[in-house]
Amino acid sequence: MFLKMVKNDFIRNKIVTMTVFLFITMAVILAASAIHNIANLIQGISSFQVSAVPADMTVMHAGEYDQAEIDQFTEQYRDHIAMQETMVLQNIDGSNIHFGQNQTMAGTIQDISFVVQNKHFDFIVDLDNEKLDVKEGFVAVPIYFMEQHDLEIGDTITVKSGWYEKAFVISDYARDFEMNSPLTSSKRFVINQDDYNEMLKMQAGELEYLIEFKLNETGDPAAVQTAYNEAGLPANGPILEGKIFAIFNSMSDMIVALVIIFISILLLVIASLCIRLTFLATIDEDIREIGVMKAMGISKKDIKKVYLNKYSVISAAAGIIGYLMSFAVVNLLNSNMRLYIASDLSGSLKYILSLIAPLLVYFMIVMYCKQVLKRIDKISAVEALRSDIMEGGKNRRYSFPLLQNKFFSTNMYMGLRDVGKRFKLYRLLLVIFIVCTFIVILPVNMYNTMNSPEFSSYMGIGKQDMRIDLRRTDSITEDFNKLQEELQNDSDIEKYAPYITSSYKVKNAEGTWDNMNIEIGDFSVFPLKFLEGRAPEGEGEISLSLAHAAKDGLNKKVGDEVTVRAGGEEQTLTVTGIYQDITNGGKTAKAHTSLGVNEEAVLWYIVSLDLAEGVDVRGKMDYYQNAYSTAQVNDIKEYTQQTLGNIIDQMGTVVIGGIAIAIIIAVLITALFLRMLLSKDMSQIAIMRSIGLTSKQISHQYMAGNLMVLLLGIILGVLAANFLGEILVSMAMSSMGAAKIKFVHIIWQTWLLCPLALMIAVGLTIFMSCRVAVKDDLSVVLRS
Amino acid sequence: MTNIIEAKSMTKKVALGKENELPILRDVNLEVKEGEFVSVMGPSGSGKSTLLYNISGMDRMTSGSVKFKGREIGSLKEEELAKVRLKTMGFIFQDINLLKNLSLIDNIMFPALVPTDADKHAVNQRAKKLMKMTGIEKLANHNITQGSGGQLQRVGICRALINDPDILFGDEPTGALDSQSTEEIMSILAQINKNGTTVMLVTHDVKVAAKTERILFMVDGDIVSQKKIGKFDAQQGDRKEREESIMKWLMENGF
Repeated sequence: MFLKMVKNDFIRNKIVTMTVFLFITMAVILAASAIHNIANLIQGISSFQVSAVPADMTVMHAGEYDQAEIDQFTEQYRDHIAMQETMVLQNIDGSNIHFGQNQTMAGTIQDISFVVQNKHFDFIVDLDNEKLDVKEGFVAVPIYFMEQHDLEIGDTITVKSGWYEKAFVISDYARDFEMNSPLTSSKRFVINQDDYNEMLKMQAGELEYLIEFKLNETGDPAAVQTAYNEAGLPANGPILEGKIFAIFNSMSDMIVALVIIFISILLLVIASLCIRLTFLATIDEDIREIGVMKAMGISKKDIKKVYLNKYSVISAAAGIIGYLMSFAVVNLLNSNMRLYIASDLSGSLKYILSLIAPLLVYFMIVMYCKQVLKRIDKISAVEALRSDIMEGGKNRRYSFPLLQNKFFSTNMYMGLRDVGKRFKLYRLLLVIFIVCTFIVILPVNMYNTMNSPEFSSYMGIGKQDMRIDLRRTDSITEDFNKLQEELQNDSDIEKYAPYITSSYKVKNAEGTWDNMNIEIGDFSVFPLKFLEGRAPEGEGEISLSLAHAAKDGLNKKVGDEVTVRAGGEEQTLTVTGIYQDITNGGKTAKAHTSLGVNEEAVLWYIVSLDLAEGVDVRGKMDYYQNAYSTAQVNDIKEYTQQTLGNIIDQMGTVVIGGIAIAIIIAVLITALFLRMLLSKDMSQIAIMRSIGLTSKQISHQYMAGNLMVLLLGIILGVLAANFLGEILVSMAMSSMGAAKIKFVHIIWQTWLLCPLALMIAVGLTIFMSCRVAVKDDLSVVLRS
Repeated sequence: MTNIIEAKSMTKKVALGKENELPILRDVNLEVKEGEFVSVMGPSGSGKSTLLYNISGMDRMTSGSVKFKGREIGSLKEEELAKVRLKTMGFIFQDINLLKNLSLIDNIMFPALVPTDADKHAVNQRAKKLMKMTGIEKLANHNITQGSGGQLQRVGICRALINDPDILFGDEPTGALDSQSTEEIMSILAQINKNGTTVMLVTHDVKVAAKTERILFMVDGDIVSQKKIGKFDAQQGDRKEREESIMKWLMENGF
C-alpha cells in the first residue's frame, strides 16, 4: 500500500520528482565528497607529518653565523628542545637554472635553494612519503616546480652560476612539508652530499641558514622563540612556528572542500524550495481530497504520511546513491592532495565521516517536509471542501486595479500585477534568481579585482607601472646603487622611488622583542591607500599593516607608539596610518627614511617606477631584466599573479563554473516553477480563454510577470554581489591582512554580459515554458 | 430575420480509453435567429451544455458545420476564434467563473480592456452602467469572495455584456441560485434580449424556460423536439399557462 502510493505519486509528478531527486543526490554527492576530502586531508597530513618530522620552530638567517652559540642555546633550553639541526641552503637564482629548450626558472618569486637531506628531522620525502636519498648527479625537484614547468622524472636541469656548471637528472619529486605550498616563498631542491660539497666549494650560491628546532612533547614554541630573540642569536629572517606549515599545506584543499560544501548547501536549499513548491501546488490541487479524508475521520498524521512517504523514499534513495557516487567523484577533487600531501589515501576514517552527509540530508529533508506539511493541520474539512475560501478569503484592500495601469497593455499588466498579488508564490523564483546572479557576479568581481592594478592597494604598495625587486646577493648594494643611477638618467622613466626592507626588533604587547620587517623610503611618490591615517612623512613615523596593528598583533591604533631596535639602539616611532597588505603573511610596516636601514639584516630592495607616456612597458621590463639578471622585473599585474599563485587561475575556473551552475539551476527551477504555476492556474487560464483571450495573450501575461521577477532578481543579485559580496570577501580576507576590499567593477561585465547570459537562458526557458496548451476542450477544465 | 447560428450534422465524440469513443452530440441540426431567446432542456447527460460549448467554439466539434453570422466556426484558427468570442459572444456559467485576483468591476471590464486600443474611460462608464442595470453598482471594488451567488452571477452577466455581444450563451446561469435570484437574473436576461441581443441558455428549470420564446428538447445528443411559445411579456400575466404548457410538452417527450 505504502509503496503503491509512492509509486502513484511519482508517476503523477515525474519531472518534479526527478528534479528534486537529482538535487538531493547532487547535494549528497558534493557534501559527502567534501567531507571525504577533509578526512583524507586530516589523515594525509598526519601521515606526511610522521614521515617528514617537521621542525617546531624554524629561524631563517643569512649572513654571519656561529653554530657554537646555537648549540649553547640548545643545551640551555634542553627542557624544551629535543633536537636541533641547521640546514645550510645554497640559494641559486631562478635565471641560473636551465631546463628543456633554453628555458630557465627566471621570473619566479620563489627563492630556490639546493640542500642535502637533514639527519634528524625535517626530512624532504618522495611521493611515497619515503625519506629522499638522492644519488650523485641526480636531483629531487620540488613538486611546485615540477608542475610549473611540466618537468618529468628523467629530465635534466642544469645549474650555471659563475664558474660552476652542472647538469642534474631529476630522480624524484621532492615533497617538502615545510615548503610545499606556493604560499611559502622558498623551495628546496635536494641533491647528493658530494654534489652539494662541490657546489659549496665553487661558491655557486648564496648561503642561507635554516636553524631548526624540534621540541619535546612539553616544549613551548612561544617560550623558545622569546628566549631565542632575547639571546640575540642570528635571526635576520622570519621565525616560523611548525603549525603554520600544516596550515599552508592544507589551505588550498580546505578551501576547495569548503566551497564544495557551500555549493551542496545551496543545492539543498534549492531542493527544499522545490519541495515546498511541490507541496503547496499538490496540496492546493488535492485540497478537496484532503477535506474528504478529514471529513471521513482519517487523522492528520495519516494524511501527512501520504505526502511525507514520497520524500522519505526519495531522500533515502538519494542518500544511498549520492554516498556511493561520492567515492567516484572524490577522485576528481583530490589530485592536488595526492600530489602534494599523500599518494596513498587509503584510510578508513572517510567511510564513516562521509556518512554524515547522507544522514544529515535525509533528516533535514524529512524535518523540512514536516514543517511545510503543518499547513495541512490548519485546513478544516469544511474549508478544504470550499477551497475558494482558502484562496481569496482575506478582506484586504484591493490593490493594482486595472485602471491604475498607465504604461502597459492591460494584458501585460495582468502578468505584472500577478507577481504583486501572489508574491509569496513568486518569492521562490525571485530568491533563486538573486542567488544565481550572486554566484555569477561575485566570482567575476573577485576575478576582476585581483586582475586589476588597483589590487596593489591590498598588497601594501601604491599604484605603479613596474617594480624591480632585488634579493640578497653579494652585489646587491652595488646593483641597487647602479640601478638608481641608471633610472635617474633614463628619460623614459617618469618617476621612481627606492624602498629598502630590513628586519628590526619590535617590542610586543608583552614587552618582549619580536622580529618585524620594516620598509623605508619615500611613500609620497607612489601613494598607498590607507585604511586609517596617512603615510609616514617625517622622522619618528611608522605605519603598520592591518595584521600588525590588529589585537592579536601589536595591538596599536593610529597615534600609538611603537618601540623598535636596530643595532642595539632603540627608537620610539608614532603610528601614522594603517594599511592593508596580504603579502608576507600580512605583517609588514613602512617607515620614513630617517629610521635608517638595519645594515645587518637587509632583506630586499625594491624600486617602484612609472614610465613616461607612450613608453612600451614590456620593452622597458625586458631591458631592465637583461641588465640586472638577478633582479625580478614585473609589472603590477604579473606581480599580483605571482604573489597570489594560482588563486587567480582558479578564480577564472570558478567564474566559468559559477556561470554554468547558475544557468543550469535557474533554467531548471524556472521550467519547474512555470509548469507548476500553469497547472495550478489551469482553471483561471480556461476562464480567460472562454472570454476571448488567445493562448498567446495568456502566455504573454506569464512571460511579463516572470521576466519582471527575473529582472528584479538580477538587479538585486548584482547589488548583493557588489555590496554584500564586498563585505563577505573582506571578512574572508581579513585573516590574510585585507579587511576592506573594494571590488573593481567592470560595468559591462557585471551589469551587461553576465545578466544578459542569464537573461537569455532563463528568458528562453520562460518563453518555452509559458506556452498554454490549446488542444483541450475548454469545457473539460471549466466544468471539472 | 437572418440566422445568427446555423448548425448542420454537428457531432461531438469523446475518447473512452484508447479505442472507444462516446458520442455526445449526434448529427445535430439547429438554427437560431438574430434577436431570438432560446432555451435548451433535456435530461442530464443529453448534451445540452456540450451543444452550447461547441456552438461557441470553446470546444471543437468532431464533425459537421456551425456557422456563426455566416462564418464557419470549425475552420477558424485559435486566434480568430478567440477574437470572435471576445467581440461578438458573451458566456455565463453556472459556476460563474470569475477571475480570482480581480475586483468585481475589474472582472467586468477586463474583456473590454484587452484590446490595446481600448478607451479605458468609456469602458469604465459602460461597466458602471451595466452594474447599475443589474443592481450591483455598490459592489464595484469588492473581491469575488465578498458577493453572494446572485450578485456574482450578475457580475458574470455584466462581463458577458461588456463588449456588447451579438449573442449571449448561458450554461444553467440560474442553476445554483435561489428562486428570488433566479427571477431577478431572468428579468435582466429578458431585458437584454429586448434590447436586441440573441440569448441562448441551457436550463433544467421550467420557470426559466417559460421566459424564453423557443425551447429545444435534447435526448441522447440530439434535438428531438422544439416548442415555440413566443416572447414573454410580464404585463400579460400568462406565466402560469406558459409553464404548464411546457410541462405538458416535456411529459409528452418522456421527460
